Amino acid sequence: MSGSALTAVAAPSASVETLRLPSRKLDQWICYWSIPFFYTLFGLIFAALGRIMPPPSPTASVPDILEYMQRPGLRVGMALLALSLGLASLSSGVIVVQMKRMEGVSPALAYAYLTALAVAGVPGCLFPGFVFALGGFRPEYAPEIHVMLYDLGFLSFVGSLGCFVVQYVVFAVAIFLDRRTIFPKWLGYLTIWALVTELVAAPIWVTRTGPFAWNGLLSFWQGTAIFVGWEFCLCVCLHRAIKNQPLEELGCEG
Amino acid sequence: MWFFVIGELWIFTCYFACYIYDRGQNPELFLAGQQLLSRGIGVLNTIILLTSSLFVALCVQATRARDVATASRFLALGGGCGVLFMLVKAGEWYVKIRERLPPSLHEFFLYYFMFTALHLIHVSLGLLILVLLWRELNPMPRRRFAAAPGAEQPRVAFIEVGATYWHIVDALWIAIFALVYLMR
Repeated sequence: MSGSALTAVAAPSASVETLRLPSRKLDQWICYWSIPFFYTLFGLIFAALGRIMPPPSPTASVPDILEYMQRPGLRVGMALLALSLGLASLSSGVIVVQMKRMEGVSPALAYAYLTALAVAGVPGCLFPGFVFALGGFRPEYAPEIHVMLYDLGFLSFVGSLGCFVVQYVVFAVAIFLDRRTIFPKWLGYLTIWALVTELVAAPIWVTRTGPFAWNGLLSFWQGTAIFVGWEFCLCVCLHRAIKNQPLEELGCEG
Repeated sequence: MWFFVIGELWIFTCYFACYIYDRGQNPELFLAGQQLLSRGIGVLNTIILLTSSLFVALCVQATRARDVATASRFLALGGGCGVLFMLVKAGEWYVKIRERLPPSLHEFFLYYFMFTALHLIHVSLGLLILVLLWRELNPMPRRRFAAAPGAEQPRVAFIEVGATYWHIVDALWIAIFALVYLMR
């Protein structure tokens, strides 16, 4: 049953009913596999091409900033981002479907998750992308403007926490209230760690050096490390949740 | 819950390690900043939180003895101390913020505010958990009618788990107090 839609379709003696059933989770599987695809692309865009992760220093000199903004990798990366950020919606969608299966949990939490992630994605990802793209595609701007774009891009990228924290809170609450254990409780605890470490990114607005700067050990590195771990565990748990979803349930989804 | 507790301890250990490293780089700055902190208030807060932990432990003991009334009373006292801690901390911050701290001690005070703020978030979460424990001990009348006769006893394991979290919050405060207020 798990994703081996081809096997079922190939069975010669299968009835029409059996032929249709295995592919009914295909939409969820497509959304699910978009997650690793998206994050690989994300890594390419933000790390390899854009070199936005890990972030350069907030105290970089003006010539360094100008050189950073004019790299072709940044322009290519940000153009790719503008095209591909929409993929994040697929992962939200499939998580929301699983959250709605939870018993004892209002769908309001699922919708809150969806909205929080959608809203957070703008300052957290798309807007910095546009800011860096602007710097890259308009080299003729005065250096002060490039410095401002540099600051704005990173402060937005690392410092946009409110909605992400709400997303985590809502997800954790839903997991703990869920009587059906669609997602395991330990994922709820992991989610709380993720939100606590993201909160520690708040001081980046106040300081440019040290562990609480936007490239700091505590404000950036620890939060990112825990986020990567969380995302990986989420993928594992989501895979199990989709796989274990009884087929009878699929019929009643609108 | 222990999984969660170990994770929280690990995260805070990373923070403390960073603090200790930075302090090693800049001992005069950190000592100067420490002088500006009110050690008396720190001690007061420590006593408040230790007392609250004592109350919560007594609550667990009473729950095990199936004495729900006493357990609830101790829980309320423990929670009350938790709220008192937050009020004292808020007062301490208010005084500090009004004092216009010297910018040269910026690094130290960033640590101070960040650690105490993070801890305060954990205290809030702890208080929320204490409320959930209260509801376990004192179910709303509607639930009592709806529950099966055998289900009226509070789940001791649930109370113990919640109490564990509160003790960790207390332990973290002791660590912060020792590192930030006391350590020379």
